[in-house]
Amino acid sequence: MQAPHKEHLYKLLVIGDLGVGKTSIIKRYVHQNFSSHYRATIGVDFALKVLHWDPETVVRLQLWDIAGQERFGNMTRVYYREAMGAFIVFDVTRPATFEAVAKWKNDLDSKLTLPNGKPVSVVLLANKCDQGKDVLINNGLKMDQFCKEHGFVGWFETSAKENINIDEASRCLVKHILANECDLMESIEPDIVKPHLASPKIVSCSSCAKS
Amino acid sequence: MADSLPSEFDVIVIGTGLPESIFAAACSRSGQRVLHVDSRSYYGGNWASFSFSGLLSWIKEYQENNDIVIESSIWKEQILENEEAIVLSRKNRTIQNVEVFCYASQNLHEDIEETGALQKNHASVTSANSTEAADPNCLSTEEVSLSPLNSEVTAYQTPNSDTEVAPEVNDAEVTGKKESHSDDKTSEEETSKNKSTAEDSTEQLKKNRIAYSQIIKEGRRFNIDLVSKLLYSRGLLIDLLIKSNVSRYAEFKNITRILSFREGRVEQVPCSRADVFNNRHLTVIEKRMLMKFLTFCMEYEEHPDEYKGEYKAYETITFSEFLKTQKLTPNLQYFVLHSIAMTSETTSSTIDGLKATKNFLHCLGRYGNTPFLFPLYGQGELPQCFCRMCAVFGGIYCLRHSIQCLVVDKESGKCKAVIDQFGQRINSKHFLVEDSYFSENTCSLVQYRQISRAVLITDRSVLKTNSEQQISILTVPGEEPETFAVRVIELCSSTMTCMKGTYLVHLTCTSFKTAREDLEPVVQKLFIPYTEMEIENEEVEKPRILWALYFNMRDSSKVSRNCYNDLPPNVYVCSGPDCGLGNDNAVKQAETLFQQICPNEDFCPPPPNPEDIVLDEESSQSEASESSAIPPNSETPKENTNIGNSEESCE
Repeated sequence: MQAPHKEHLYKLLVIGDLGVGKTSIIKRYVHQNFSSHYRATIGVDFALKVLHWDPETVVRLQLWDIAGQERFGNMTRVYYREAMGAFIVFDVTRPATFEAVAKWKNDLDSKLTLPNGKPVSVVLLANKCDQGKDVLINNGLKMDQFCKEHGFVGWFETSAKENINIDEASRCLVKHILANECDLMESIEPDIVKPHLASPKIVSCSSCAKS
Repeated sequence: MADSLPSEFDVIVIGTGLPESIFAAACSRSGQRVLHVDSRSYYGGNWASFSFSGLLSWIKEYQENNDIVIESSIWKEQILENEEAIVLSRKNRTIQNVEVFCYASQNLHEDIEETGALQKNHASVTSANSTEAADPNCLSTEEVSLSPLNSEVTAYQTPNSDTEVAPEVNDAEVTGKKESHSDDKTSEEETSKNKSTAEDSTEQLKKNRIAYSQIIKEGRRFNIDLVSKLLYSRGLLIDLLIKSNVSRYAEFKNITRILSFREGRVEQVPCSRADVFNNRHLTVIEKRMLMKFLTFCMEYEEHPDEYKGEYKAYETITFSEFLKTQKLTPNLQYFVLHSIAMTSETTSSTIDGLKATKNFLHCLGRYGNTPFLFPLYGQGELPQCFCRMCAVFGGIYCLRHSIQCLVVDKESGKCKAVIDQFGQRINSKHFLVEDSYFSENTCSLVQYRQISRAVLITDRSVLKTNSEQQISILTVPGEEPETFAVRVIELCSSTMTCMKGTYLVHLTCTSFKTAREDLEPVVQKLFIPYTEMEIENEEVEKPRILWALYFNMRDSSKVSRNCYNDLPPNVYVCSGPDCGLGNDNAVKQAETLFQQICPNEDFCPPPPNPEDIVLDEESSQSEASESSAIPPNSETPKENTNIGNSEESCE
């Protein structure tokens, strides 16, 4: 295979109330491309999805679930930091989870901005649309209006169970992130140290005082 | 929401400071069911870092010293006949003597609202925030979401006093020295308006004029630590971060300079071989002497026979006296004593001094030319990194959640549950309590030390060089025999702790008097207030202070567990931050406590790498190995000091 010209790595957040299907969406999305070897979420920060976006571009997506911190919305900065986009998920069968959407969006925007100060791209997912009880979504125009008002780049009716619209939603988000990216590159900090397990290349520093 | 909290855990951890968070992560990692709570709305307790508005809220909280603690007694009904309660304190007594000074000009006609991401809400908020906000409670809901008190405020909080953002916060307590203040805002505003139209053009010409309003506006750029520490690049915390792979949540910068302050001048201390040889202030002979001495410090333990005689003789004297015998010029003695060993002139023994020097040298070169690292976004990130790890392994997090009391079984003498603010009883086997949560009854016999702290926002570095982005540590020895050395850490904007064009300066020492009394003499030596520079004077080299904060923090690190009254054996105690530079104390506490409850378990082994798990079948090997060491957003690894390779390569 010819080496692609460009590779992008994006961190995406998946947020929303308890039980709206965040983990199922991640599993479904990652699962179908990469065998059934995907394991339980315990001990795992994020799931990785690789997209061959076009012949020149590979996009790697880290999908971050909100772990045990979700219960009271107390996510750490570690969770938000450097994310480039997010899905906010609600359950079409439970109106309360839709009411929480605006709160999640406000919360996200107050805690996370792109390096250029703009809010990150967020796609709204109306999950569990397979259940036929989507009273909420009967008015697509209303949803469009809602997304416009609250700064979502788009919305999708999804079903993790039936695999409806999840790829489409992701493509929509990635498209917006890619469109934003050119102005972001400049802000990457030089000289950052990332200590890692086993540092084979420990520089035997010529400046070390030991002779 | 609290009704959904489970009522059965293995470990309950109260407080989200660094030792508690490491402990919680270790327990969760080894399979314990962990509940981790903090009564505050943010992570970290006294280890937290704040945006500028967040810090103003914190200041307000302590200046008001509010006694509006509602003594609830719901818990009483819950205590059974064969049980006793240990009531926890609902008031934090660890912070005192908070004083704020603002020297930057406060042109109140400007829009002084912190810039947030919610652009669309701005219009509705601007006026409320800027001027006549005499009533601090008049904030609108939008404003709360605009002001990242810090990023941990719960999503659904209602606005209340501790999310106050307005700059008026410091009105009440600001003491003296300030030329313009908002006490009579209306007139102030009038005059500044008039002035500003007249002076607008000249204002524009003056470079580096930073007004208070800009600090407010750029408030999100600040991450101001309550505790000022660095990581020794071979210290216990770095080792733990690497071992547990929690390091993937954090990024660091090297401290770029070690400075010393001598005879009124700030100088760079040569500590590496390259520094020594490039130093223009040292003579060739001095360079040789210093290299010889540093080599000796590295090797004296490995070649005991060779050096034994030489150094044995000095075991009984202080390190500073020992240095005098080592053919070092006074200049070099000063460097070694204060900037490398960072020990006290009067009290440190030769052995301690040599050990400290050796440790310093040992840490050199691992990641850079100084022994120290600083976490991007501040020290306050570190507890959160461990909290994230705990949560990833199933730990449950509740901020703004107080525990009213511990429930002790009379017969066994063991603690068996806690009762939270809602009266819910939560059972557990083990309990870790950060000591500030204990009531005065529990702590009646405890003697505390204090830490004096100052935080300054300045407009330039204490030592100007061609690069603006320097991170420096400077030790200023105590003037009187009984006073302590002051540690000064200056952070530049690339550490993500302050806005562009400013520096964040942290001063720390063991308290002798109040923080301001202890630290102001050093502040005056190194800095001048911004206001004295109204007449532009390019000659003045001292950095100017835009804003300053002083406070004392309680240091409970030396308190023995036996000092607390009547603690059941399964209630463990950990301390708040200590005054030291490194973080070894926090790691040691967490590890010791973890070993007590999980004697045969590994302490924070690395978790599975998510990318390994996902990519274990179809994906190509090359992709797997490339990805794991690259942090998000950095497709250009050439720029990063990416020590360490992917895990695959080490196996």
